[in-house]
Amino acid sequence: MMQFRLEKRREPSQLMVYATPVAAVLLTMVVGAIIFSLIGYNGVGAVREIFLTPLTNAYKWQDLGIKAAPLIIIGVGLSIAYRANVWNIGAEGQYVMGGLAATGVALATYGMTGWWILPLMLIAGVLGGVAYAAIPALLKTRLNVNEILTSLMLTYASVQLIYYLIRAPWKDPMGMGFPQTRLFSEAARLPTIIPGTIVHLGVPIAILVGLVAWFVMTRTIFGYRMRVVGAAPHAARYGGFSQNKTIWMAMLVSGGLAGLAGMLEVAGPFQRMVPGFPTNYGFTAIIVAFLGRLNPLGVIFAGIVLAITFVGGEVAQTTIGLPNAATGIFQAMMLFFLLAGDILINYRLRRVVPQTSAGAA
Amino acid sequence: MDITLAILVTVVGASTPILIAALGELVVERSGVLNLGVEGMMLIGAIAGFVVQFHTGNPYLALLCGALAGTAASLIFGFLTLSLSANQTATGLALTIFGTGFSALAGSSYSARPITLMQPLFPAELATHSIARVVFGYSFPVYFSFFMVAATWYFLHRTRSGLILRAVGENDQSAHSIGYSVIGVRYLAVMFGGAMAGIAGACFPLLLTPQWAERMTAGRGWIAVALVVFASWKPLRLLAGAYLFGLVMTMELYAKAGGGPLSIIPSELWAALPYLATIAVLVLISIRRDATTNAPACLGKPFLPSN
Repeated sequence: MMQFRLEKRREPSQLMVYATPVAAVLLTMVVGAIIFSLIGYNGVGAVREIFLTPLTNAYKWQDLGIKAAPLIIIGVGLSIAYRANVWNIGAEGQYVMGGLAATGVALATYGMTGWWILPLMLIAGVLGGVAYAAIPALLKTRLNVNEILTSLMLTYASVQLIYYLIRAPWKDPMGMGFPQTRLFSEAARLPTIIPGTIVHLGVPIAILVGLVAWFVMTRTIFGYRMRVVGAAPHAARYGGFSQNKTIWMAMLVSGGLAGLAGMLEVAGPFQRMVPGFPTNYGFTAIIVAFLGRLNPLGVIFAGIVLAITFVGGEVAQTTIGLPNAATGIFQAMMLFFLLAGDILINYRLRRVVPQTSAGAA
Repeated sequence: MDITLAILVTVVGASTPILIAALGELVVERSGVLNLGVEGMMLIGAIAGFVVQFHTGNPYLALLCGALAGTAASLIFGFLTLSLSANQTATGLALTIFGTGFSALAGSSYSARPITLMQPLFPAELATHSIARVVFGYSFPVYFSFFMVAATWYFLHRTRSGLILRAVGENDQSAHSIGYSVIGVRYLAVMFGGAMAGIAGACFPLLLTPQWAERMTAGRGWIAVALVVFASWKPLRLLAGAYLFGLVMTMELYAKAGGGPLSIIPSELWAALPYLATIAVLVLISIRRDATTNAPACLGKPFLPSN
């Protein structure tokens, strides 16, 4: 019988750090095809439609861009927070609050024109996310309340706030009873950057956010601080980095970026606040952050991979009748395989020959 | 009197699944493992329970299958975090994302197809009197939850196995060095947590709304996790906490039903109340004392034997 044993590596394998996300995606495709075949779907077709069609069909590229943008922006923020061991998992709520704050500006300036409206919405969006992330940050630093639970509970509350606002004070007077706000004026809508497509300004902003964050994380004291506090809290305290200050910075940066994504979504694809605004980008961005190895450049790639599964999931829904929920399963499987594969960063898989005498071990 | 009684019965119904799931998570955390996948395991239990009830009409079989499904889901978590030492926080989140997707996929062909609610455990004649109804008017999971509170307390504080489990959670290296299988104990705890979350999930279609709806647990799994903190890892306090939340949720139901003083406040605020109350409770707990003092010392840390 063949046996395997895990043997600790002298130092973490850099190769494995970059190989495991790729392996996780490939394994998801193989295992996904098998599982979906076993439960009676066209498994190979599902994998092809979800992972390959969005790439091979040039018409889908613009969809990829606009789906990847919020995932990258939120994912970058979360990767910074997770690096510092701050578990903000309420990005969805911060995204919602960013969208709501931007909507407030758009409605207040309704009918006005001016170049300043969009920047104002952007500031409001970021501040909305920052303010909402400040609550778990405050509770964590002052009272040591678990940020996972508070940020998540606030997400559920933020969704109710949307429902309230679009059913009562912000309801479209011409909306024939639909719970939604009015369509934003021209000046409050994000311009498209490539004529004749739906690719809006949020896409280059997302790439820019990724690049800037990469620079900040690798080349500045801020980034150093985040990494040290996360990796070696004791050493960080010894080195004079206050844990609380780091928690604040991590929460506010990740909240602000989620708020930015919310503003870009509401001013871009949505152009009004609707009940369907919570799109789960905030939760999916958790997978993006991990698949991108908590590295902003990696997050750009991971954001595109997750966007592929979203766009592909829609394709598979229409072409082979795969339920939309299948996308979520593929995404979760990617994260499972990634986390499972991570053991190979610190350990080496060794074959054990059973007959070996005890002395050899 | 009738309305008080009706409210009481509703509170019990709303509290029971949270209590069951939280008891499971309490045991898991006492063994030193933080499984944030409760919401996902509950959803898997909910769809399993629903499907079995839909096809067999046997609610006990439905609960059993909910438990098995929850256990199976917990084994994914156990394998990753215990056998492969994966990050517990991330793996728990992954399990919740997986459970959400899996239950939505499995339930996609069952929406808008009703099942029958689970009947009360005792014959109706026993529960004709209003006071008697408070005692005898519930279905099996309610009594199960009370039994499990007592059983969990007894197990943790009065049995040798419970002592070992707590030792593993407080000091895994010592427990390992005197020869206990840390990983083995934690696997059993995680599986117990999965079974309880699965049963709790199955309670949603069986006790509360007799149809399938995506994400029907609506964050109750997370409230269960918060309750364990609230209860400072003690089973009896969980009982009080779960019923407090059941009460808050019931107020939402009555406010939505319209009329009365409760409806002055927008229904959306009522709907947000359980989540805001969770935050408030966590805040109160930490003001009263350092919330982390009672936490098992090894909570959330992977176990790597130092040989």
